[in-house]
Amino acid sequence: MRNLVFLSVFLWFSNALIAQNKVKKADSIKPQELDAVMVSATRTKRQMSSLPMPTQFIPQKEIEAINAIRLTDLLDEQTGLITVSDFGGGQGVQMQGLDSQYTLVMIDGVPLIGRSAGTLDLSRVTVGNIKQIEIVRGASSSLYGNEALGGVINIITQNPRPGKRTRIDYRAGSFNTHDLRAQYTDNNLLDQWSVFLNRLSSDGYDLVENDDLRTVEPYTNYTAQVKYKGDLNPLTKMQISGRYYTQKQDYTASSNLAGASDINEFNTTLHLSRTPLEHWTQEFEWYTTRYMATEFLNNPDGSAFSESDFDQWFSRPELRLTRATDSSGTWIGGLGLTYEQLKRTDFFGTPEFYAPYAYIQYEDQITKKLNLVAGARYDVHSAYASQFSPKLAARYRINDKISIKSSLGYGFKTPDFRQLYFDFTNTTAGYTVLGYNAVAVRLPELQAAGNILNVTVPLDSFDDPLRPERSLAFNLGMDIKFSSQIKWNVNLFRNDIKDLIDTRVIAQKTNGQNVFSYYNVNRVYTQGLETDFTARINQNLKFSMGYQYLIAKDKDAEQAFDSGQVFGRVNPSSPVFRLDAKDYLGLVNRSKHTANAKMFFELPQWKLDGSFRATYRSAFGLFDTNGNSYLDQYDDLVAPFAIIDFSLNKALGKKFRIGAGIDNITDYTDPGRLTNLPGRLIYASLTFKTK
Amino acid sequence: MKKQILLTFGLAGLLTFSACSKEDSDTPQNTNNDSVLVSNLYAPQDTDYTQNPPAASGPFVKFDFSTGATTTSDTDWDIAFRGTTILINGGSSSGILDAPQRTGNAGAYIADGIFDEINSINSGAFAQDGPDGLAIPTGSGNGWYTYDPTQLTILPIPGKVIVLRTADNKYAKIEILSYYKDAPQVINEQIALNDLRYYTFNYVYQDDAGASGF
Repeated sequence: MRNLVFLSVFLWFSNALIAQNKVKKADSIKPQELDAVMVSATRTKRQMSSLPMPTQFIPQKEIEAINAIRLTDLLDEQTGLITVSDFGGGQGVQMQGLDSQYTLVMIDGVPLIGRSAGTLDLSRVTVGNIKQIEIVRGASSSLYGNEALGGVINIITQNPRPGKRTRIDYRAGSFNTHDLRAQYTDNNLLDQWSVFLNRLSSDGYDLVENDDLRTVEPYTNYTAQVKYKGDLNPLTKMQISGRYYTQKQDYTASSNLAGASDINEFNTTLHLSRTPLEHWTQEFEWYTTRYMATEFLNNPDGSAFSESDFDQWFSRPELRLTRATDSSGTWIGGLGLTYEQLKRTDFFGTPEFYAPYAYIQYEDQITKKLNLVAGARYDVHSAYASQFSPKLAARYRINDKISIKSSLGYGFKTPDFRQLYFDFTNTTAGYTVLGYNAVAVRLPELQAAGNILNVTVPLDSFDDPLRPERSLAFNLGMDIKFSSQIKWNVNLFRNDIKDLIDTRVIAQKTNGQNVFSYYNVNRVYTQGLETDFTARINQNLKFSMGYQYLIAKDKDAEQAFDSGQVFGRVNPSSPVFRLDAKDYLGLVNRSKHTANAKMFFELPQWKLDGSFRATYRSAFGLFDTNGNSYLDQYDDLVAPFAIIDFSLNKALGKKFRIGAGIDNITDYTDPGRLTNLPGRLIYASLTFKTK
Repeated sequence: MKKQILLTFGLAGLLTFSACSKEDSDTPQNTNNDSVLVSNLYAPQDTDYTQNPPAASGPFVKFDFSTGATTTSDTDWDIAFRGTTILINGGSSSGILDAPQRTGNAGAYIADGIFDEINSINSGAFAQDGPDGLAIPTGSGNGWYTYDPTQLTILPIPGKVIVLRTADNKYAKIEILSYYKDAPQVINEQIALNDLRYYTFNYVYQDDAGASGF
């Protein structure tokens, strides 16, 4: 019914727009959509339409049209990207069916850190000062190394436009949410400055009313970013940027345990680039970041109940050399060193990693029709075996309308600190989790203390180091340009991952609980199809549709189903029956079908612009509910759902703009299971800019 | 829609169930022992959180298959429950606090399959409790249950059937159906925190010590 209403409103708008355009052509704004330039795919500036790997691009215009405030607002609407929350509340993104741990997230080409439970919380990132978001799908470790298994998301911040400019944005909405941004930029002939400040506060929300906990506790956070660009000498350009993020949030664990959590994050980058000779560019980049998170709980009498700290350092100098050949080729090579350190409560020591690396890539327009990118990277690591990650990608232009592209590449993710050095005993349930490298020392200590009943995995199986998780990714796609206004692309993907790290019981304790540790076990694959269709019906109306079909399964689980070792039950009082391969649904939190439809419109005579957007997810399971530890079709699944958003903005003169919108119009929620969906959000916004 | 599916499967399940028992009555091993349902056998456990790691304690609830009821006897019991831990009256102490003395010759193993189809007894497979562990292992995925640490639920693994030699050398097969009061289909957070340690299980008792099946 609601869909019908949506459709009729949509049709009405489309008609209105088409009709208007016929009458008033002179007034329309020229579309900005020339060929987008992106840097993430090859680390050189490249037109998106010439890239041989699947890429996606979100321009600032779209960010403004939907009045987004956080990165999660945007990514959720892109084909094949799904925002999922971990049990700690962090919101990560799933790409090509790979978990959020396997996607590298960067700001201006340098990675964000702070994955305290594996997920990088993307709601941390404000989109106020973003020029564009670049998404590269498929393993990209040949350029970026660790974490780039599923792909890369690179957030490009704005460069100042000429002159002195000030911009202030304010958005207020449901749940007492206030987002205030201020930006000052100065671009004169000599240098460029920009300062950006953001404050976001919210009361959070509570989906389950009859308990002591809130789904999301009230929070306030601030982001500050400063960027300077100037010429050191006629040949050398320098860029310095710094970013600081801080958040305070209430933290309640029960009716008598309350406290707070505190996050502080710093990033600094120094970037020098020099053109010593024609065709040559030298770049030096030194990035350092620190992520600190503390949380505490106090008893009602004010005494401390618990406190935990997380303090991670990451520093990376990198030297890059780019050379354009006399013909059409470009060589790029890089040399760098990553240093990482983590201090954490419940940790075995203060681990440090050193990881030097080198990479090289060559790209060339070999013939008028064939474009090729070949690259490889070698990563050495102080704690793991070295990794070699090659990649090859090619694009072949059949004619003016159709191109075929394909890429094959390796990706890897080294075990994180937690998987190696965790030393944690749950104070209420009594189980223990030991990092892989902590076992050899800590297990004998527990044995000596009389806590261990029996050891089920012998200690010598921890002699060889834990291996990084590796993937081989294949993409095959086609771009079809029916006209400059109507485009369609389709991409088939397959990711084969081995040595995925999971936990297992390594010993039983005298208190009846277990000791867990990590090991390389799972072989997993994800495969499917992603497709986008875009039609610019006229200069004031753009329509797009996206769809992803996804299969994400564990190969060993498939075998267990195949050989009849898995049983199911509909409810506790019904008999058990044997399940077969058809009943296996695959990995948790994967929808077989996801889709989106978006319409962006402009009504120039009223200075209005806005959007209708809808996203859809088919059924998926979050956890096993019938005890066989696999997700099967008899488990309790999250039913299919759609989220519909609407936004409308109006320019008032040249300096002001007002906006309003509703996210999640139908007020869809699933309390207890989808904690990242607060329900309907209504907001209004105001923008002031000097130019 | 969902309900309809459940209903269909429930009905299909019932049909298969009755069909199976008919077939089984033709097989020589089946001696027509009826299955008995035990509901809400409460097996509480005390946990001392002042110790690190916390220690579980408290008396085990003992069950005797020859009477089909719980018992406080020190000798005439076959199987004992406390929290998720299940002991048998055979073997020696495994070091668990407040565990009863083993006085009998019980043994147990876990068979994979459908309860009604587990009809033979593999006498070579019986294990007993001892210092190296329990005949019915504890821990998620090791024995009869899986534990989901995010949902805090203990779910019996379908297809796990405990085959037991009783303390006095008779046999029983046991299928645990639920760990929560009144065996609810959906275990929400309230139930997971408050209504746990109530066993509901099915068993078939074979009182012929010489039998090779149920």
